[in-house]
This record gives sequence, structure tokens and C-alpha cells, in this order.
Amino acid sequence: MTRGRAWLLLTPALALLVVAFLVPVGMMVPTSFRPYVPLVGITGGFTATHYVKLVTDLYYLEIIARTLVLGLTVTLLTLVIGYPVAFFLARTTSRWRPWLTILVVFPLLLNLVVRTFGWIALLAQNGLVNQALQALGLVEAPVKLLFNFAGLLIGLTHIFLPFMVLVLIGAIQAIPRDVEDAARVLGASWLATFVRVTLPLSAPGILSGGILVFVLTISALVTPRLLGGPTYRVMSTLIFDEFLQRLNWPAGSAQALLLTALVLLLILLSGRLAGRAGVQA
Amino acid sequence: MSVAPPPALALHRLRKTFGAVVAVDDVSLEAAPGEFLSLLGPSGCGKSTVLRMVAGLVEPDAGAIVLAGRDITRVPVHRRNLGLVFQSYALFPHMTVFENVAFGLRRRRVAEAELRPRVERVLELVRLDQLGARHPRELSGGQQQRVALARALVTEPSVLLLDEPLSNLDALLRDEMRVELKRLQERLGATMIFVTHDQAEALTLSDRVVVMDRGRVEQVGRPDEVYRRPATGFVARFLGRANFLAGVIARRVPHGVVVTLDGGRSVTVARTELGAGQRVQIALRQESIRLVPATTPAGENHFAATVVFHAFAGAAHHYVVQLEDGRELEVVAPGAEPPLARGTKTGIAWAPEDVIVLPGSAA
Repeated sequence: MTRGRAWLLLTPALALLVVAFLVPVGMMVPTSFRPYVPLVGITGGFTATHYVKLVTDLYYLEIIARTLVLGLTVTLLTLVIGYPVAFFLARTTSRWRPWLTILVVFPLLLNLVVRTFGWIALLAQNGLVNQALQALGLVEAPVKLLFNFAGLLIGLTHIFLPFMVLVLIGAIQAIPRDVEDAARVLGASWLATFVRVTLPLSAPGILSGGILVFVLTISALVTPRLLGGPTYRVMSTLIFDEFLQRLNWPAGSAQALLLTALVLLLILLSGRLAGRAGVQA
Repeated sequence: MSVAPPPALALHRLRKTFGAVVAVDDVSLEAAPGEFLSLLGPSGCGKSTVLRMVAGLVEPDAGAIVLAGRDITRVPVHRRNLGLVFQSYALFPHMTVFENVAFGLRRRRVAEAELRPRVERVLELVRLDQLGARHPRELSGGQQQRVALARALVTEPSVLLLDEPLSNLDALLRDEMRVELKRLQERLGATMIFVTHDQAEALTLSDRVVVMDRGRVEQVGRPDEVYRRPATGFVARFLGRANFLAGVIARRVPHGVVVTLDGGRSVTVARTELGAGQRVQIALRQESIRLVPATTPAGENHFAATVVFHAFAGAAHHYVVQLEDGRELEVVAPGAEPPLARGTKTGIAWAPEDVIVLPGSAA
């Protein structure tokens, strides 16, 4: 196949990317520099106020930091919970394996809103979790698990875990068993084999699973809105409110562009990191 | 030998089943120190499973594995101090050649000052001393296999296990590596257990060959023994092409016995332990049959034949000749001889010593 033909294969995807991503994002750039006057709306002129506010106003900085910390924590949690599951599913020879895999994906088959409301029922002041904790005598008063960081963390980890597991299964299956066997024959214990061979060789999967979950987490809207309530905001809910409630499109555009920039920066950085570690993604 | 050292490796009645399949069935073997022992057989005969049990990667259902007098049947893989070279090389793709080789030493907590010269020495041994900084993916197949060999040798294992190590190489490189491997083994005096399905490889490399079929040991012997005196029809067939003829032992003669083949012809065989009336199968290796001029007077083990097929393969001529009764035999003659065209009348003959006699069967 010639180089030109190969590009032809990418055309539909590239076209979609341009129309659905690059054009809208590009259109937001000029908007983000327009002044916004309350009760009047977008006016003519040029201002960088929205960006300056984003990086100086503590209110915004806190939301940005919260979003990033949430993204990282959810990513780490799904990795820690998902890796053993993926390892088991990648390696088991059980005939139940297809069913177990379906079980992992099963939460994705349920509507997002339904799942999130399920969590509200569980995590509320007098929800099942708090009732159980109190019945067991572990806590005296109900623990606040909703409309705060803990609530978002639990909900988002649950929702994005299947993505992490699926990506990791593929990565772990791609590791030749011979390579692990070679390590063990050479004197590496099970743990040493895992740390020195299995884990580094599954790094491409950890990286792509991590990027996927991180990006999904910081751009998730429905779950943070429902579990965070109207006041506990992350960037996506902030942008949503800015556009649709305050109708401050310039500020919303600036926030959205910052979010996009953060995501791109992160992907770029992790690519560099992987390259330095010698990982072939 | 009155005070024989304990065998470097001894297997006692090993058995392994996978579900209903008996992969290894009652296998007992011994390898002397410094011996090159091959496990030869078709795929699925259990040879690799035997090797993996020795390495500790597969747990036997029954039997014992004794390494230099010490029972290691229940010793975990990483404490056996064995070397294993895989068909797939199984190098660590995320480590340099140097780190691949150093891996075993690092697990043994060998100090850096001692580790470096040891790795360098073994890389020199496999002629890769310039490539230590490369990654496996930057090497050719032959080079990768040499890294795998160096990695297994650097810890000075008591026994080196090789699982079809040359099978992934192309033909020319394979021949080259074969010589290299044999020289290395002689130089180091290492005990090697070599698994292969390639009979030529087993014959050229080994001190002794263990021929396996369907989980069982068919025969153990020096290469010339298993080739010239195969114990079973399977061994005779697996070690090289042969012509099989069934018959009955007719009578004893001074230097052997006469076998009357089904169809009436008589063949003299230089075997004396067989009694008259016993049903046997005789096998004639392709290269044991000589082509003689058609004018040669008839005699013992001499028949008239016609060439019905000829192919030139460089080092040899491959013929199919037809006897007067219509029976066809495959014959290989040295390639340096002038070829015989299809249809040529010729004579064929063979020495009584070259006839392989196998226990009778109706075939």
C-alpha cells in the first residue's frame, strides 16, 4: 500500500475530527476573548479577563485543582482495583471467563442516570451505606458521602472501572507467558517477576487505560452534577452552568479551552514519560 | 565404572495429565554430567512437558526429579538454578541485552563489581560483546537466540534446558547455531537437555537421544544406535525415511537369518537372536540400498529393479525403483554419482548388517 492510500483510510476519522472537534473548538477561541456584561450579554471588543480570572481567582483555581485531583485519584483507584481483576481475567483458563468479562462490562449496560441515582440512594445521609456503618458501630453520626469529593470519587470510580479493566485485559494478554516463565527460571520469585517483568510490560495498557479514565473523569458531566449537587462543582459542571445558566459564553469558552488544553498537555506528557521508560505503546 | 558420580539429572517415573490427555506417561531418564541429551519426538509427544517439569514450570502428577542427587520435585521454579532457553527466546523486551543477561545474577544479589565482568564474559562467549546496550528488538533472530543462551548460561546452571531453541531460525542460520551450540557445550562441559522435533538436529548434536512418542519413551541410545538399531517401528520411521517390508524368519544361516518376505523373496539379515517362524518387519534405510549395474550376477540381498522416479537434490539423488513384483523402494544415492534416468534397468543390493529388523506386525 502506498503512503497516499494509507492516508485515505484515515480520511473518515479525520473528517469527523475536524467537523466535530476542531471547528467547534476553534470557534470558541474568539468567543473566549469577548467581554461579557451582565444583563447585556456579549459585547464587541477584546479582553483576556476570562483567562486572567481563571488563573488568579481562588474560586476557579480551587475548581481546577479539584478536577485534576479527582481525575488523578479516580485513575489511580480504577488502576489499583482494576489491575488484579484484569490480571485474573487475562490469565484464567476457566470456562466462566466470558461470563466474568461480561460481568465487568455489565454496569455499562445500565443507564448512567439510573446508576448515579443508585449511588445517591446508597450514599445519602440515611442511605444504605450510612445505615450499615452505624449498625456496625463503626461511626456515631452519618458520614457525609454525597455532594462532596468522596461522593464523586466513589461514583466515578465505579463508572469508569470497566474501561480500565478492558484496556488492561488486552495489555496483560499481550505479554508472552514465556517471558514471565523465563524470569522465574532465572531466579525471580513471583513478586519479583511481577514487579520486574509483568508490570513494566503492561505499562502501555496502564498508560492508555489511565489516559482514558482521566479524560473521561474530568470531562464527565452527569455524574458530578448529580452526586456533587449544584454547589460542589468541577470544571465540566462549571462550564455547563456558565453556558446554560449564566449565559456567559465567553467565560465558559475560556474554561472549556483550558480544560481541553489540560487534557492535551497531559496526553503529551504521558507520551513523553512512556518514551523515556522505553515502553512501546 | 565403579564409583560413578550421581547423574546430573535423573527423572523417575514422571507422569503428567492434562484433563483426560496423558501428556507424559511413566518417563524415566538419566543424564550424565556433561552429557548432551536430546528429547526427540513429534509435536505433542510430551517432550516439552518433560522439560517444563524439570524447570518447575509444570508440576508432575507423579514421579521424581533428581538434580545431582538432590530431589527437586517440590522445589519452586526460582530456586532450582537451572537454565532454560525458549523457542520464542522469551527475552525481556524492556531491557537492554546487558540487563537481560544480568537478570539472573541480579536476582541472586551478585555485587555490581562481580556482575559486570561476568555478563561481559558470557556475552563474549556468544560473540555479542559489542551489543550489550541494544534492545532485543534491534537484534536479528540469531542474535536474540544467542542473548537467550547467554542469559541462561551466566548463572552457571547445573543443567541447561533447551526447548526447540533453533526452530525459529532459518535453515542456514540454524546449521550455524547448531555448530556453535555444540562447541559451546563441549567448551563449558555443561549438561544439556535439548528438546527437538528435528531428527537431524538430535542426531548431530547429542551424546544420546531419547525418542518419545505419545508421552512415552520409545528408545534411548547413542545417535547411531537409534538410527541403525531402532527398537520400534516408530523410531525407525521418525529418524529417517526407510522402506518397510513384512515377512517371516525362515531359517538360520552362519552369519544371521533369512527372512522370507510376503510375496516370496528372501532377504538375509545379520541378526542371530531371532528364532525361525517369528514374524518380523524389516526396514531398509534409503541410503543403505546401493544401486549396482544390472549386469551384476544375482546373489544374496540383490535384486533387479527399474528406476521409476529420479530427483536431484544437490548432495544426493533421490530414486524410486520398482522391483519385478511391482514393489517400490526409495533409494538415495550420493549426488556425485552420475544420475540414472527414469526407465533404466538397474540392480539394487544391500548389506545384511544394514537391515533393520523390527518385531513383527501384520503391516
